Amino acid sequence: MDTSENNVATIEPDQDNPIAVPPAEGPPMYLESDIDFIITLQKRGGDTLKKCMQCGTCSATCGLSPDDAPFPGKEMAWASWGLKEQLLNDPDVWLCYHCNDCSTRCPRGAKPADVLAVVRQESVINMAFPRFFARWVNQPQCIPLLLGIPVLLLTLALYSKDKLGDALGFSPPTGDGIIFSYSAMFPHWLLNMFFFFFGALTLVAIVIGGVRFWKILDRSVAYRLPGDRPRSLFRSILKVFGNIITHKDFSTCVASRSRNYSHMCVLFGFGALTVVTLWVITSGINPLAKGDFIYPFSFWSPWKVLANVGGIALLVGCFIMIWERGKENEQIGTGVYFDWAFLSALILVVASGFATEILHYIRLEPHRHIVYFIHLVFVFTLLMYLPYSKFAHMIYRTIAKVYAEYSGRKVS
Amino acid sequence: MSFKNVIQSRMSLIAVLIAVLIIVYPLGYSVADYISAGNAAGEKPFLERTAPEITQCVEDTIYMRYHHWELLHAIREDVVRYGKRSEVSLNNCRSCHTSREKFCNKCHDAVSMKPDCFGCHYYP
Repeated sequence: MDTSENNVATIEPDQDNPIAVPPAEGPPMYLESDIDFIITLQKRGGDTLKKCMQCGTCSATCGLSPDDAPFPGKEMAWASWGLKEQLLNDPDVWLCYHCNDCSTRCPRGAKPADVLAVVRQESVINMAFPRFFARWVNQPQCIPLLLGIPVLLLTLALYSKDKLGDALGFSPPTGDGIIFSYSAMFPHWLLNMFFFFFGALTLVAIVIGGVRFWKILDRSVAYRLPGDRPRSLFRSILKVFGNIITHKDFSTCVASRSRNYSHMCVLFGFGALTVVTLWVITSGINPLAKGDFIYPFSFWSPWKVLANVGGIALLVGCFIMIWERGKENEQIGTGVYFDWAFLSALILVVASGFATEILHYIRLEPHRHIVYFIHLVFVFTLLMYLPYSKFAHMIYRTIAKVYAEYSGRKVS
Repeated sequence: MSFKNVIQSRMSLIAVLIAVLIIVYPLGYSVADYISAGNAAGEKPFLERTAPEITQCVEDTIYMRYHHWELLHAIREDVVRYGKRSEVSLNNCRSCHTSREKFCNKCHDAVSMKPDCFGCHYYP
């Protein structure tokens, strides 16, 4: 993409003033301060933002910030002025890893890391489709509704499972190997169809959010740097994925060092569980699994071991994260609702999953089915609210990092 | 650079390698298993009818497959808690399913189920 062909005014690089400011042309520009937005940011957890005196220590201390128009200094200024448009169209907030290096060095205790986290929440809501639902997901008072939706949908699906099964030609499971599994009560075909249907809806929301974010990146002044693209899109993607897997950017954090490893535990634990889930739900069409596929797995089956190890890793990672947040430190924030909601959802999914497994082994009937139902509800809330919760960082941060590499905003 | 320094500087990479190995291992195991088993459908479990004199069970096969243990629980409740001895007893089961080794244990072992009844009680 060549910037000179765009109609948008291109900015010549100014050696003395690298911060890219649009040239003053035409009538004078007035900044529109949105006081409601400031109040929203403060309510959501950025209550310290007005302490900022715009000294720029945060930008200077950040190990991830680029030299041109560095963050989080400019975001702190925008936040205290209430420049909603700038903040919501600022992809830089997604380059931040919330490592708190800026917050620990802030002379005023304004906690720039927390403010950026709240701005990320607001931009998730702004890019989400539908927006009103994203607003619900990020309000604590909507929790009953958010849990009620999957409870209702799952109950409906289970209530009509016999009629559905007859209509679609799914007979009760007759496999030789299925003996004492959950599939007698919750047939696999039903759960697969249920989660595929709502997964597809979620995928639509993810794609719409991703396209909206890509447009924001295309418009962003700071990302339209002069000169050649340093690398192709494909190589940028490869580079970013290598970076994410090895946690290279994470390991530059000083204030919250252990976040490197806790995030590794969570990411790889989740990866392991995803691999096992894919293996199980594709068992019907997987030639490797079909022959002697026995479900439930034996406790020492490699797949069961992987699932258990992954679940434990995920749980350990989550608890290290909580411990990190609970440490007494005035400078580091304890996180915002956005943060805690996602962390709690992860913990609830894994904990209810292990409870299901344990009840399966101690053969408590019907308790195990109730706990399994609760587990499914939590899985629904985790996966289907992905584009509206902090889970969306998986999409937006990846896209932002790819675009930063691709555009030369940040060449690491 | 000492060994300790090398370990410390490569800590992230080592952690990633270990994680990837753990995640890939079951896949490799399944592939190896598939190759070694050839195109055979694998070992088909489980149930071996050893003395099919009576063809009719108390319930149909599918019901028994999922709920036999509930029946056993119910019988145990009746006998132990309420002193009610019904017509159905393990002796009736035994007339078809003569061997625990060849019948019950095949499934139980495959899914790591360890029913604790027969640690004390006799079943041939």
